Amino acid sequence: MHPILSNQERLAVYLIGWLVFGLLLAAVLALPHDFSWLEAVSLAVPLTLIYGLICLSSWYVCRVYPLQKTPVAQVLAVQVMAAIITIFVWGLLGSGWVLLLERVLTITGFRSRVLAKAPLMIGVGIILYGLTAAVHYLIVTFEASKESEQRELQSRIFAQEAELKALRAQINPHFLFNSLNSISALATHNPPAVRAMTLRLADFLRKSLRLGAQESIRLEEEISMSLNFLEIEQIRYGSRLQIVQKIEDVCKDCLVPPLILQPLIENAVVHGIAHLLDGGTITLEAEWRGSVLHIHIENPIDPDRPRSRKGGLGLENVTKRLRAIYKDDAQLNTDERDGAFRIDLWLPAQTNLGLHRPVPEAEPARLPE
Amino acid sequence: MDAINAIIVDDEELARSIIREYLADHPEIQVIAECSNGFEAVKAATDLKPDLLFLDVQMPKLNGFEVLELIETDLAVIFITAYEQYAVKAFEVHAVDYLLKPFSRERFDEALALAKEKLARNEFVPRLEILSAAKPNNETVERVLVRDGSRVFVIPTERIDFIEAQDDYVSIRSEGKSHLKKQRLSDLQSMLDPKKFVRIHRSTILNVERLARLELYAKDSRMAILKDGTQLQVSRSGYDALKELL
Repeated sequence: MHPILSNQERLAVYLIGWLVFGLLLAAVLALPHDFSWLEAVSLAVPLTLIYGLICLSSWYVCRVYPLQKTPVAQVLAVQVMAAIITIFVWGLLGSGWVLLLERVLTITGFRSRVLAKAPLMIGVGIILYGLTAAVHYLIVTFEASKESEQRELQSRIFAQEAELKALRAQINPHFLFNSLNSISALATHNPPAVRAMTLRLADFLRKSLRLGAQESIRLEEEISMSLNFLEIEQIRYGSRLQIVQKIEDVCKDCLVPPLILQPLIENAVVHGIAHLLDGGTITLEAEWRGSVLHIHIENPIDPDRPRSRKGGLGLENVTKRLRAIYKDDAQLNTDERDGAFRIDLWLPAQTNLGLHRPVPEAEPARLPE
Repeated sequence: MDAINAIIVDDEELARSIIREYLADHPEIQVIAECSNGFEAVKAATDLKPDLLFLDVQMPKLNGFEVLELIETDLAVIFITAYEQYAVKAFEVHAVDYLLKPFSRERFDEALALAKEKLARNEFVPRLEILSAAKPNNETVERVLVRDGSRVFVIPTERIDFIEAQDDYVSIRSEGKSHLKKQRLSDLQSMLDPKKFVRIHRSTILNVERLARLELYAKDSRMAILKDGTQLQVSRSGYDALKELL
């Protein structure tokens, strides 16, 4: 949306500004008595107004070549080219107008007098174009900073929402009551198991509170929470819940938003394993590829399972959080096919040490997939 | 009093062990089977005809209510659920016994005492009331359950071709096979999506997706020709209903 064209008030102000330029130009032409006032005004004002309109196009150029992201040389080259084209177009329109004026006002030698002023006009044109481009760049920068401010606010809101939801999820009745029931069942015949499970549950709840409050945590900590959760569920499901994890060592220090995987792991249990008579295996994988951290979660599903309305909320929450934090730099893909549900998550790989992948100690050769 | 035969149904081994443990104090209750899923439960209940069922609600593939729907014999049921739901309200309204996990021995004994009283009075679980209360807000079903002897078939509604009434039963045609279910045609109709299933005749419901074309049969009646060639009679009102939809 063109910031000036799209707003009537702004367009009016803009054109009035150019009108002033037009009058100034008319004065420059008329005062040295090269042109009569009538000629000067009827020449300069329409021409400058038209030029003003043509210069609006520099917005599009400025948007495509923003100052921050483009090398200076390129910006200059592009703007000079654009200026040349704009002035050329103006020149064509201008000569047409001059011819018309000559005929209508029946002036003699109008064309040649105007031609004498051509260098002046071109000079003025270049300056005005430069001014317009500068104004457009200002607008671009202003809008970019507003946008980034908004995104940051949104990201903070989403993160807090997610933290709340994640905390609520930890205090999720389904999970808690089932776990407590398992503990109660173990009480008579397996007191050591009761202690172990109570501690694990307390550990999980405490960690989720602590880590949930941080802005980002190491992947190793996130995975350990997921495994903690799954181990608690394993007591209920017994052999119906198997876990397989393949986390590349280099990934362990990668920073991720806390509890970003928790809703996905829960879904794998609640919507996947829970609906299968014989259960199945949840697979958790992470690898570092280039500058991207790739996390893969896979579990079997029953394609005929009853669809609950609440099913998509966890996924939606994760997607929203990712978008708020990483904008377009993160991606979440889900795929349901052949009785399996696959989630792929790509995040920019960042560690506390910076973006560079640490030199691996001993990396086995990996065959391409 | 005679021994009361009971079956424990829960997909979690630990949950079943709690009930076994609590039942140790009640020698008159005899556990004749334990089931870890709904299919086993239907088979055991049909074959062994227990007096009492401890029935977990949240189970994979077939939940507790669906098991109840498929067991047609009268018995007493104590439901077990992990969390409050609309169903719990229904339990309370109909004085059906339920236990919320985790439950104490005392709570268990209470529920058991109630169940024994009812059995003594031949008062069985009010199946229909519980089943209709368990379906939230008249939602349509995505699958239909059929019991054949002690086997259970789960038929996703999109795989149903058509349904015909046969006295107290309905015959559900799906993927070349016909399944009998003890249900009234109108009851089944109310559970199906009216945008996909149309009552084309007093005794027939059609999945409109299967319709190939309609032909004029005699002066005033029509024939629905399905994609697989089957021909079904269409009544006047059935035709009107079809026209409205298509």
